[in-house]
Amino acid sequence: MSAPTIRDRLYEAPGPRTRRRVALFTVLALIGLGFLLFIIIRQFARQGQLEARYWDFFLKWSTWRYLGQGLLSTLKAALTAAVIAIALGFILMRGKLRQNPVPRWIATAVIEFTRGVPTLLLIYFFFLVLPRMGLNLGAFWRITLPCAISASGIIAEAFRAGVNAVPKGQAEAALSLGLSNTRTFYQVVFPQALRFVIPSLISELVIVLKDTTFAYVVSYADLMQHAKVLITSHDALVSVYLVVAVIYILINYALNRMSDRIAQGNRRPTVQRQGGAA
Amino acid sequence: MTQIQSRDVPVIELRHVDKHYGDLHVLKDISLSVGKGEVVVIIGPSGSGKSTLCRTVNRLETIDSGEILIEGVPLPQDGRQLAALRSRIGMVFQSFNLFSHMTVLDNMILAPTGVLKLNRKAAKDEAMALLDRVGVADQAHKLPAQLSGGQQQRAAIARALAMHPRAMLFDEPTSALDPEMIGEVLNVMTELAADGMTMLIVTHEMNFARRVASRVIFMDGGSIVEENTPEAFFTQPRSQRALDFLQSIRN
Repeated sequence: MSAPTIRDRLYEAPGPRTRRRVALFTVLALIGLGFLLFIIIRQFARQGQLEARYWDFFLKWSTWRYLGQGLLSTLKAALTAAVIAIALGFILMRGKLRQNPVPRWIATAVIEFTRGVPTLLLIYFFFLVLPRMGLNLGAFWRITLPCAISASGIIAEAFRAGVNAVPKGQAEAALSLGLSNTRTFYQVVFPQALRFVIPSLISELVIVLKDTTFAYVVSYADLMQHAKVLITSHDALVSVYLVVAVIYILINYALNRMSDRIAQGNRRPTVQRQGGAA
Repeated sequence: MTQIQSRDVPVIELRHVDKHYGDLHVLKDISLSVGKGEVVVIIGPSGSGKSTLCRTVNRLETIDSGEILIEGVPLPQDGRQLAALRSRIGMVFQSFNLFSHMTVLDNMILAPTGVLKLNRKAAKDEAMALLDRVGVADQAHKLPAQLSGGQQQRAAIARALAMHPRAMLFDEPTSALDPEMIGEVLNVMTELAADGMTMLIVTHEMNFARRVASRVIFMDGGSIVEENTPEAFFTQPRSQRALDFLQSIRN
């Protein structure tokens, strides 16, 4: 038996009739999907998209090396943006959880701003406005900083939700042992909050990774840019975009699987047996 | 500390303490003192303010007016002084509150190493001795969730004792426990009382209160209604409300 999933917790186990119905719909859906795929491929063939000249350059090592370079740039930008976003998100969360209303108000304003402004707008700001003010960042920072800022507010809120999800008694116990507020937060509350937060943090990483495709605006040579070059040089739009889409999907799928794994692993020992009212 | 520790200075003293939650007057003019080595048990119906009272002593709850003195010194409002004071008052909660991401042993040594600046080896040795004393030494390397409720609560008591507290507060320590585990926790508390620990206990365990208490305080509606010896309180309480309460729980 596999580990229980959320579905097992929310719904009762299906009986024989439900199982038969599920099997029937699965078969129908598979037939439908197969038919759809058939239509797509037939349409491709009719339009000549399956011709060898659209695909044979994928047999060349240089094509993959070129795409690989683009992918590396994408990952570099996404990872840098993610690290900055997490750091910013953490600072904003600390600000928002303060007793003092001034940092709390500032943090709230920044969080709402970053959550409300589209990433593309931020990129234009870094690309068009900042240079006029004399700040000339390289293409790398023009894409990573806006992506990071754009994600920071959501990450701050995820952190805050995680901190709030830790039972209050944990902090009370730490304080009653004489731990300072700072120690209580870093040694007792935050490590437990992190377990709740990691899955949503990873989903946010997926969004950051997808946001980096805006790199074309600032001419940063990411995976999408390299794909475009391939498209022009081989005059092959559909095949290249298809391959690039698969690459993005594979990476994001891996990230999502990772977050599921972590969520599963967390489920067991974190929940403390606590009978009675609080 | 230059304060002279005379026998007459109570370890815990509350003077005319008042507290409101909005319109609700949860503590009404509470005055109470716990002397060195005394075991004071607070009982009363739910909502009588007894838990809140217990939590004001180490300022997990703030008060609106009045004074709280620990060994004759007013309770600090915040910062390092408050943390230092809390480290000298042990607290045991209804829901145990062991740190769920750490083993029992790490729970035990977090404050001794972090606050008292004990080295890890010494802290561990003492932690193991305390866990042994409460009978859960064999659970030291497990996570709290792997222990039974009774074991968790005994470990939580040991964790508080590791700070060498001058007094211990117990906020309904057995209310979240299955019946068969209540005894093991009360035994630990009884031993602690016999060793001369100063204790302020909120509980519903009447037999325990009768056996262990030096004094019983009966609270109702945010006020102290009666303060009596356990024998007198349980046999012939002075107040009608205490009588009603005792009758209602006996049935």
